[in-house]
Amino acid sequence: MAQVPVQTIHRDPQLFYWILFPITIVMILTGVLRHYATVLMASAPKKQDRKTLREQRALLHGINVRSNYHVLSKSSFSARRDALITAYETGSYLKDPDNRGQPPPNPMSDPSAMEGMMGMMKNQMAMIIPNTLIMSWINAFFSGYVIMKLPFPLTIKFKSMLQAGVATRDMDPRWMSSISWYFLCIFGLQSVFNFLLGSENAANQMAQQMTQMGPQGAGQMFGPGVDPNKQFLAEAENLAVIEHYSVLDGVEQRLLEGIKV
Amino acid sequence: MAPSVLQSPVQLPPAAALSLSQQAPAILRNSPSTASSSPFGTLLSGSEKPEQWLQYENLILSCLRTGDDQAAHVCLGRLVARFGDDNERVQALRGLVKEAEAENNGALEDVLKEYDQILSENDTNIPVAKRRIALLRSMGRLSDATSALVQLLDFSPTDAEAWSELSDIYLSQGLYPQAVYAMEEVLVMAPNAWNVCSPTTALDLSPMLMQPSQIHARLGELQYMAATAPGVANGSYQKCMAEAVKRFSRSIELCDDYLRGYYGLKLVTKKLLEENAKPTKQTNESDFALPDTNTIERLNELATAKLSEIIRHSAANDRGWRGYSEAEVAAARELLADDASAAKR
Repeated sequence: MAQVPVQTIHRDPQLFYWILFPITIVMILTGVLRHYATVLMASAPKKQDRKTLREQRALLHGINVRSNYHVLSKSSFSARRDALITAYETGSYLKDPDNRGQPPPNPMSDPSAMEGMMGMMKNQMAMIIPNTLIMSWINAFFSGYVIMKLPFPLTIKFKSMLQAGVATRDMDPRWMSSISWYFLCIFGLQSVFNFLLGSENAANQMAQQMTQMGPQGAGQMFGPGVDPNKQFLAEAENLAVIEHYSVLDGVEQRLLEGIKV
Repeated sequence: MAPSVLQSPVQLPPAAALSLSQQAPAILRNSPSTASSSPFGTLLSGSEKPEQWLQYENLILSCLRTGDDQAAHVCLGRLVARFGDDNERVQALRGLVKEAEAENNGALEDVLKEYDQILSENDTNIPVAKRRIALLRSMGRLSDATSALVQLLDFSPTDAEAWSELSDIYLSQGLYPQAVYAMEEVLVMAPNAWNVCSPTTALDLSPMLMQPSQIHARLGELQYMAATAPGVANGSYQKCMAEAVKRFSRSIELCDDYLRGYYGLKLVTKKLLEENAKPTKQTNESDFALPDTNTIERLNELATAKLSEIIRHSAANDRGWRGYSEAEVAAARELLADDASAAKR
């Protein structure tokens, strides 16, 4: 096994002060700036009118009754169940009962949905523009240097990640170029921003992309393009199939066995 | 346990509320008078905490209660400075301050008109709607308050606080089945959570910060009252008593040193034993049946033993047995004394 000789490259120590620090500081400052830009651009959550609110909460009410039916006695549960199922099936909680059975409107034509998309676009812009600017700034000024050596060995696969912009085939992947330092900063500054701005900041784009992926399930429930009538019918069916039991069944026996004075 | 400004002060005894509002000057002095929203400010002083605003809200409540209107105004001013004039909660709080300072009915009418004005602009403003209901109720216009509450619950049926207020109003009018229904809704909303009505919702009505065991006990009390109300048919009497026994048992099951639960259990079983009620033949399968006499006796013994234990320990002020309200302990002592004298005779 041939021992690879340790590569040594003599670097100007000034590289450290004039490239590493500026890139880091600029990244942190843009993060802070982006946070405040997002805060300023954020539009206030839209007010829901009374009928929408009624529709959503009526559905939630049904879900609550369905999941907590065991606290009720049988007669009071079946009274609630009958009332809810009738109301759901006749559509009396719907926002506009006339539109029942019609296909949901195209979400693109719904102005409220468009507003949500505009908000998303704004956020995307707030991420893309500064990143492009910094990237081109780094490319214009600092490309082509190796600025530091990582203190741990890496496999050859990391070469394309760490040595972007330095086209040398045989160099040890531990050497790192300025562009790579920039990428490392993008991914690794989250904790710094948490420290500076509090944990719910909008500085880091990675976190934002995560949240955009995340709450699909919760957002879908009342989102645009979902037919509330179908939701109500499904909930009515869920309610109808419940086989009732109550926590109050036999509670005296449980109590007498469980509690000793 | 010393009361904290972060808890809702609504249910504190007067002395505790007074001591809280006496902390007001210190708290107001220590926290910055304006929330700085500039980037440098937050970088230097750390970001603002939600607790701070909660603290102000609770301070307003206890200051108004103890008559320190000046401090309440300062707190309100800070909330307005932070959240703006047209924030829903701020509007409700401002109304609350005005209500507290109103000297006669005319002034209250003015506040009511203001609420109506706000609600006509935005009919989903729930804090203000609740404030209006509370005001209507305290002005004695119960039917208006009830209908407003029912309207609120029509479009927002997931509001446990409003349901419990509705139950309370119905109870005060003697409409037991309705009160029971509303209380059951509260239970559906909050079957397990231990602090259901979090302090954030506490500003609006006269909220009951209830835990499930308490809701169960409350339902038991309601059933008991429904059963003992004059002119109740025998069938529904038995059904109500049976459910009362079950509800009290459940409340004890959830929280096993719950004085109110034991008290209720003792009361109901004692009454049942005195009447020597036999479980009638079960006519309707969906109703609860009374347990047999043996079980009732054992439940009665259990409740008696536990109550006397609680009374003994809290009289001696033992560790871990503090925190019972004195009035409740006294009532329990009286109930037991009653029982003992009846046994002697």
